[in-house]
Amino acid sequence: MSAEPSQRTERRRYVPLLYRVAGVNALLLFIAVVVTIAVLSPKRVSSLHTDEEAIVLGVALVLVVALNVYLVRRVVRPLEALTALARRVDLTAPGQRMPPASPTSEAGVLSITFNDMLSRLEAERREATGRVLDGQEAERLRIAQELHDQIGQELTAVLLALARVERRVPPELRQSLLEVQDAVRGSLEDLRRIAVELRPEALDDLGLESALAVLCERFAERSGLEVTQWIAPGLPILTPEAELVVYRVAQEALTNVARHSGVATARLELARRDDVLTLTVTDSGRGLPQGHRPGTGIRGMGERAALIGATLAIEDAGGRGGVRVRLDVPLDEVEELEEFESLDGATPREVGQAQ
Amino acid sequence: MTAIHEHQAQVDSPAIAPDGSDSPVRVLVVDDHPAVRMGLRELFEDQPDFVVVAAVDSADAAMALAEREPIDVAVVDYQLGSRNGLWLSRKLKRLPRPPRVVIYSAYCDGPLAATSVVAEADGLVSKGGVGADLCEAVRAVAHGQVRLPTVPPALASALRRRLDAEEQAIFGMLLAGIPAAEISLMLSISSASLESRLWTMLRKLEALPTDSMAVRRARPHNGRRRGTPI
Repeated sequence: MSAEPSQRTERRRYVPLLYRVAGVNALLLFIAVVVTIAVLSPKRVSSLHTDEEAIVLGVALVLVVALNVYLVRRVVRPLEALTALARRVDLTAPGQRMPPASPTSEAGVLSITFNDMLSRLEAERREATGRVLDGQEAERLRIAQELHDQIGQELTAVLLALARVERRVPPELRQSLLEVQDAVRGSLEDLRRIAVELRPEALDDLGLESALAVLCERFAERSGLEVTQWIAPGLPILTPEAELVVYRVAQEALTNVARHSGVATARLELARRDDVLTLTVTDSGRGLPQGHRPGTGIRGMGERAALIGATLAIEDAGGRGGVRVRLDVPLDEVEELEEFESLDGATPREVGQAQ
Repeated sequence: MTAIHEHQAQVDSPAIAPDGSDSPVRVLVVDDHPAVRMGLRELFEDQPDFVVVAAVDSADAAMALAEREPIDVAVVDYQLGSRNGLWLSRKLKRLPRPPRVVIYSAYCDGPLAATSVVAEADGLVSKGGVGADLCEAVRAVAHGQVRLPTVPPALASALRRRLDAEEQAIFGMLLAGIPAAEISLMLSISSASLESRLWTMLRKLEALPTDSMAVRRARPHNGRRRGTPI
């Protein structure tokens, strides 16, 4: 995310403030002393006194320089730290700040302002990312529904009509009809797959654990990737936003395993350690390539994770090769207090139906 | 089974045609999409052993009709606007002479198989199948068979975690194909109590219709809430 530092800021092309202030002050003092001696009391100039005055002058010079160095350092130090932080700060990994300073100097005020600015930028970025991802999810939902309600229903009607026609076609056309039927069924199947990928229905309906089970099942069916699941019992119910993040990370990670790992098995784990819910997806494939740079999918996962205060790590899975994707979700922020999330969608008339 | 019967007298015979009898299967079609509804009606009308009693577009219309006329098999689209096919299935099963129920859905996967079991549906057929599969399933359930896909074990255990101990027992028995009447005997609970249990389970497990799904997702985003105070 962070851009390369520009040429101008990277190489120092100036004399540091410290040397400039100390040098100018020392020069001024030197000139002042010489002028004082030469102009105000030229007659008192003698070889004896010159040595003593030279010592006094020298000591004064050293003192001035030392005092300057000390004072200017105090001002400049935080500025250097500020420059270093500004260079490395990364909004996708929020929380990097200058050490606390008091507003008793320009540098202190600058540090505080800089921290405030980082907080503001991080908040704005979080909000913008949240808006983009919300919009993306809403759009996906809309497309999935449209695919299902419009095209899917019409293809279903076509299939039913074909089934009717099948009984009446002359034998020589029968083969062609079956091919058309197969083509329509294939399209319907594709459409369904796309709709499901766009929108994890099971997540809305049945919650994270079931949705992950369905996800693994679908991967097995479609790409032949066999996923071993281990989901710890008694996990808390998360907010819908957090569930969606965990689900999307699992989906992206499994997609990557199917595409890049070169193996046919993966392991998905969801467990709780203290107040952190951890999702890990591990494969035993060829591992991360040399000089691996994250693609858009993984960056997207990271952004989603940051949004709910979670952290994402993609690392080599121990000595056996393979890759481990690990998502740590702090539970204090994302735990759902309601017992069953799906109940708030049920209307009173449905609740009253039991007789 | 092959003879064509069209006289009205057949309508007054028992709700489920016994095996080997040649009374036609009285089918009710419930689908809110006009083209699909029409397609189903025509497909069934073409079958010599089926009689289409009606093709309606909503759960309420289906209930009104089923209360008036005996139905052997209701072919119910899963998505029916505000009330879904599972709701209708449970309501139909409470009738004095309950019809057999086939859920006809685009997504015939594990979750719907599990919820169909709780809704006491007898069959679940994919919209992606050929017409002959659907007709075969209707015939099979009309003769007392069950046509539900199996629920994968990992999913079944994930779903069980959403239920309490007694509900888990009921769910397990339903998955094993034990009818509701026997379950209430085995657990020695009244049928009314089992009934309310099943509604609760369905609410916990049920795939909600799409409109409430959209409402649920439209809630403000966590990130947005946290972002505002700065």
